[in-house]
Amino acid sequence: MGLEQYQGDMNMCCRCSACKWVPMQRVSGYQFANVCPSISRFNFHSYSGGGRMNIGAAMLRNEISYTDRLQHIVYNCQMCGACGVSCNYAMDMNVMEPIYELRIKCVKDGKTLPALDQTIEGLRKTGSIFPPNGKRGDWAQGLDLKDAAKDKVAVMLYVGDVTSYDPYLQKLARATAKILQKAGVDFGIAGNAEVSSGDRAYQLGYEEDFLNQARKNMDYINRNGIKTVVTADAESYQAFKVLYDKYKLRGSLQVLHITEYIRQLIQEGKLKPKNNVDMNVTYHDPCHLGRLGEPWVHWEGKKVPGDRFVFDPPKQYRRGSNGVYDAPRDVLNSIPGVKLTEMQRIKEYAWCCGSGGGVGRSNPEFAQWTAQERIDEAETTGAEAIVTACPWCQKLFNKTIDDGNSRMKVFDIVELFEQSIE
Amino acid sequence: MALHKDIYREFEDVVGPEYICDDPAIMPSYHGTEFAAVILPENTAQVQAIIKLCNKHRIPFRPVCTGWTGKFAPGFLYIDLRRMNRIIEINEKNMYAVVEPYVITAQLQAELMKRGLHLNVKGAGSNCSAMLRGHGHLDQTTSGDDRNHLAIEWVTPAGDIVRSGSLGSSDEWFCGDGPGPSLRSILTSAVPPGVTPGVFTKAAMKVYHWPGPAQFPVTGVSPNYQLSEIPPNMMARYYSFPSVEKMWQAEIKIGEAEIAFELMGFNIAMVAANISTSNEQEEENFKRLSKEIQGPGFFIILAGNSAADFAYKQRVLNQIVNDNSGKSVTSLEDPRTEGILLCQCIRISASIRETFRPGGMFKSIPVMGQRDLTIRWAIGAGKAKEPLIEKGLIVDDGGAAFGWGVEQGHLGKTEIFCKYDPHNEVANQAVEDWHKEQSDRAFRENYFALLIGQAVEDWHKEQSDRAFKERYFALLIGQNAEIGRALSNYDKWWNEIQKSFDPNRVSPEGGALV
Ligand SMILES: Cc1cc2nc3c(=O)[nH]c(=O)nc-3n(C[C@H](O)[C@H](O)[C@H](O)COP(=O)(O)OP(=O)(O)OC[C@H]3O[C@@H](n4cnc5c(N)ncnc54)[C@H](O)[C@@H]3O)c2cc1C
Ligand code: SF4
Ligand code: SF4
Repeated sequence: MGLEQYQGDMNMCCRCSACKWVPMQRVSGYQFANVCPSISRFNFHSYSGGGRMNIGAAMLRNEISYTDRLQHIVYNCQMCGACGVSCNYAMDMNVMEPIYELRIKCVKDGKTLPALDQTIEGLRKTGSIFPPNGKRGDWAQGLDLKDAAKDKVAVMLYVGDVTSYDPYLQKLARATAKILQKAGVDFGIAGNAEVSSGDRAYQLGYEEDFLNQARKNMDYINRNGIKTVVTADAESYQAFKVLYDKYKLRGSLQVLHITEYIRQLIQEGKLKPKNNVDMNVTYHDPCHLGRLGEPWVHWEGKKVPGDRFVFDPPKQYRRGSNGVYDAPRDVLNSIPGVKLTEMQRIKEYAWCCGSGGGVGRSNPEFAQWTAQERIDEAETTGAEAIVTACPWCQKLFNKTIDDGNSRMKVFDIVELFEQSIE
Repeated sequence: MALHKDIYREFEDVVGPEYICDDPAIMPSYHGTEFAAVILPENTAQVQAIIKLCNKHRIPFRPVCTGWTGKFAPGFLYIDLRRMNRIIEINEKNMYAVVEPYVITAQLQAELMKRGLHLNVKGAGSNCSAMLRGHGHLDQTTSGDDRNHLAIEWVTPAGDIVRSGSLGSSDEWFCGDGPGPSLRSILTSAVPPGVTPGVFTKAAMKVYHWPGPAQFPVTGVSPNYQLSEIPPNMMARYYSFPSVEKMWQAEIKIGEAEIAFELMGFNIAMVAANISTSNEQEEENFKRLSKEIQGPGFFIILAGNSAADFAYKQRVLNQIVNDNSGKSVTSLEDPRTEGILLCQCIRISASIRETFRPGGMFKSIPVMGQRDLTIRWAIGAGKAKEPLIEKGLIVDDGGAAFGWGVEQGHLGKTEIFCKYDPHNEVANQAVEDWHKEQSDRAFRENYFALLIGQAVEDWHKEQSDRAFKERYFALLIGQNAEIGRALSNYDKWWNEIQKSFDPNRVSPEGGALV
């Protein structure tokens, strides 16, 4: 691992700026053509995906050293992956991996931000990236759920840091559990024993802390014979499914986002949404479920001699083609009364909610600026609510709406789905 | 090279601290060049104020839109026009659009399509500025280069605001040549150095009738986009011919008949790049398609205004193709592939695949002139590529050139490039040599070609004793003089004009010709 292994990818950057925009064929007007929050907010080319490639390559050549500006660039990025998708429409190169590695390098070199260090300190102390509030499993009181460590279950519901502890979002954990109960799934939770999946630590560049969390989780899972993890937290979904696989820790564990599982349970006839939920909604693709939810591809091979960059076996780039886009839409469309109108930027080229990459912590103004852009886009659809499938998105949208003047409501899919089966 | 802090502050007062930066951390992303600073103006008044300061302190500057191309000397002020990104007006009745520099073509094109209009798109792609001149796939029907510029708002190198054409005498953008000053040959000169001194801050672009849908019905997930259906009365085909002569005759006849929406002389390697989502796939498709063609060819899009118009155009096309023994590459007729090509080649979203993807770099020689002659010149340049291909130093594209006619006629652009890995020293040198030899040959044989950016490169190499600005200008003038001798010594006049517009020599050209 390390930035060095992506030197070839970074050198490949041709400065075409495609990474600033949704893929050209998807540009459907003047508005909402941007895809990268960082360059859109800070304007200097360095803040784009391509700019980050140029910086990474220059660091490897020892042409630049750390400055406040460099750190500002590195940490004002949501790690949302949109640049990689737009780049990979035309180019064969890794974009997101070097961006992650640049942060990992910053952490190794001690060039971090105090706000993020504090967040990680909190994780080390409490096992949660989100400041704890009571006991982790309190949300489950009265639901009579099984304990994944005691009651031999094949399926574990993983709740995640923010949903476990945020008093407002705990309702999502309860809704998710009730849906699984209704379908008759034999599942359990880790409750107070649950710890952070480590995804945020990874996004911030604290690779060792991420690995520490990953190992703790996989120890628990393996110890208790759990075969499937289901979660409604998109970032944790990405950690279990993609990152644990990348670091060869996942083994044969099956990882499902709750929307994938609900869709499966509907198909099996175990869930039947019946009640009308009359609402015009638009759907926001969480980055970590959508484009970044694409499975990890293990590739080993070498460049075929000659001047064309072809590899044996062919190199598989994660271009965003295999993210989770349809399951949440299928679930939404299964709810009677829900009318879904799409925004301009969707699926692999969706605009980020603003919360990723630790930006919500290190630069809340930028996080909310990004969320506001998405809320504005949602409003153009005429929908009364943004529906998402990740608690982090919901939290930031709500905060931005509260601080601003939008009348838009925000829901998680599980909330609406639960209403339809109650 | 950094600005003195008092001078920096003066610039900062114009744009605000958030929009100027001289931190070394940003320079790698600005062409790896040590600029005095990068500055981001928001409007014409700020551009003017910046240029006045440049004159006051004798600081050379270059304005840049997306900055895809460009070779720059260190020490310049880099004016990044990213914040000047508004569409000012789309005038449907008089068929023009007024834009600021950082509106990209994809944005303007999408807005125009909704209104039944479209514009000339540079072959570089819709990721580039909609405002700057250029040549592209649509040149046959929309013309190219500077011909699509109407009135322009220009901040001169001395910091004056000049409004050209109709804008100079009224508030109207409809004409570039009057009533009011026509500065066409200065502002958008097609002779080297080819880019204007000073800064364009707004320009009106001519727009054209668009017979296609308001939006292409794109489906699928990147990079596997397709059209859910071929829009009515549209068709894309690739025809190959037994000889250059036959292909050229067909191209001319199609121009005369005015039936094409787009005629683009892609070589088959470029088609393979366009339809492939990875290098491996591209190589495979190139090998396969190479077997399907009988010789040189072109790609054509027909777009009818009605079913009858479309049927007529198809009939004429078939007649012309048959008369010249052309053959359609049938595997490309598959609607899925046809749809990809149709959308990509109108929205021009694939030039990156054609150029940078396989090797990481390309070096090009564009020549302007009568198409059949320039193609013949390019065949020679292609032959000269063969040893490089055999040695594996450049990407195998069959050695072919590409190009297109302009304005339905016999003139046009022909271009040939080598794609290679710039980090392979041997390949680098070989391509460098090929480029120089073939450009010189073009020049000797009286074709209009240019060693793009050579002056800046030379300056980089020789930057030593002399004050860099004079050296830079001397090189530019030297390069132009070489071409000037062949073109009635125009360079001497150009230099005089330059001096009067730019008395303090703060605005050297130095970008790409095309
Ligand atoms: C892969 C590739 C393919 C290409 N194919 C073609 C092609 O088929 N046809 C073609 O015509 N060109 C082609 N080009 C060149 C292309 O036109 C330019 O690269 C393109 O215009 C660059 O993007 P941009 O428009 O944003 O200009 P920039 O790169 O920002 O600028 C181009 C030049 O114009 C100057 N400039 C920028 N803004 C202003 C302004 N407001 N006022 C005055 N001067 C300004 C810059 O200093 C620079 O010298 C190609 C380039 C590449 C890299
Ligand atoms: S990262 Fe990719 S899309 Fe962005 S400038 Fe570089 S090559 Fe272009
Ligand atoms: S990860 Fe997202 S915010 Fe960061 S550079 Fe890429 S597109 Fe921009």
